Amino acid sequence: MTNGHISQEDLTLHAMQALSPEEDAAVRSHLMECGACRDDLASVAGDLTLVALSVERTPLPAGAKARFLDKITGSPANAPESTGGASISIDRKPVRSRVIWIPWVAVAALLVLAVSLEVQVQRLDARLRIEAERTAQLTATTAHAQEVLDVLTAPNAQRVLLTAAKTPPAPSARAVYLAARGALIFQADNLVQVAENKTYELWVIPADGSAPIPAGLFRPDAAGNASVVLPSLPVGIAAKAFGVTLEKAGGGATPTAPILLAGAAPGE
Amino acid sequence: MTGAAAASDEVLIDRVRAKDEPAMGAIFDRYATMVYSVALRVLKEPGQAEDVMQEILLQVWNMPDRFVRGRGSLGAWLAVVARNRAIDVLRQRRPTESCDEVVLASATNLASEFEQRAMMEKVRGVMKKLPEEQQRSVELAFFEGLSHSEIAARTGDPLGTVKTRIRAALISLRKGIEA
Repeated sequence: MTNGHISQEDLTLHAMQALSPEEDAAVRSHLMECGACRDDLASVAGDLTLVALSVERTPLPAGAKARFLDKITGSPANAPESTGGASISIDRKPVRSRVIWIPWVAVAALLVLAVSLEVQVQRLDARLRIEAERTAQLTATTAHAQEVLDVLTAPNAQRVLLTAAKTPPAPSARAVYLAARGALIFQADNLVQVAENKTYELWVIPADGSAPIPAGLFRPDAAGNASVVLPSLPVGIAAKAFGVTLEKAGGGATPTAPILLAGAAPGE
Repeated sequence: MTGAAAASDEVLIDRVRAKDEPAMGAIFDRYATMVYSVALRVLKEPGQAEDVMQEILLQVWNMPDRFVRGRGSLGAWLAVVARNRAIDVLRQRRPTESCDEVVLASATNLASEFEQRAMMEKVRGVMKKLPEEQQRSVELAFFEGLSHSEIAARTGDPLGTVKTRIRAALISLRKGIEA
């Protein structure tokens, strides 16, 4: 306690359930009566959220969503009314009187069947709506991605490099790399033409110091432009830098000096 | 984006109250990975982590009023509830607190994967800069569910030092994020 209130340290431990049971009981008791400490606790809990948010995301196990949807479609809120566990009395009347009730039993069974089918239809309809929304979302995302790719790779796209006035255009390139997906888009401008038996080759220089990884061969068009789009690369390799070398037509296993274009990747 | 996928958390919760399954599906898409990841970080066992995730999201479906507006963002609330429930599972005990008790002052918007990832990167960056002993103390308390006396016993540090370190780490974290 500090000045009749719970210390920030103890509130933090309480929010993390890290106090002993006795200490925790004392804190709970005080919180019931003290609005100021409750406000402080909310602030501390907000800070703890940040710790939780530092966790690296892990993809859900396969089928997790389907299992969840099954649960909510089968949850009590959606389930048809049950008998509430009421006991069913056994009819001891003569067989003849039961025969009278057979048509009614059949009608009741049909009603139950109809209700059951209606519930099934509603579930399928809900599932269909979810899938339709997901499909629409994916379609929009794909269309946008395709549009970006089309612009980046269109042979007739105008590629303009802005430099200080009166500066002769020099070879330059840009690499966009997403290590987590092993995805790379590379565009170069103002490249010098190369002989028939030569080719440019792009390299990814891994951050862990391992050997450069070949990331595609390319030759410039008449205007000196070239691009490499989504070459085959291993996933999860953090890049320290990218480089371009001149190699024999079939490409090289290791970069041949000199490195004609190079760029360091910004640190994480 | 369409319908539920583009709606705000508040709108989705309202629709969940009316038992709108696509709205609950959108909340699942938005937060299930985060909730699962937090639980997995604590439990280190995918099956148990999925059980925790399913249980928490099922509570949102069955009792959406447990999340009360003004108590912070839905994403932040789910992250804390996931951690607390996972610690309960780790300690093999019944839930020590009801979700109703989790009140937090956090307006952090986590409705999109981009916002979640951006916040994760920012927090990780700030945490890396904390003194190693502060990082370790927070790690032991938050993710391993150790009490302050257990941490003191494990690290050999005085009890008061452990408390101060954890508090100092959270203050630095908040300042680092607000900077």
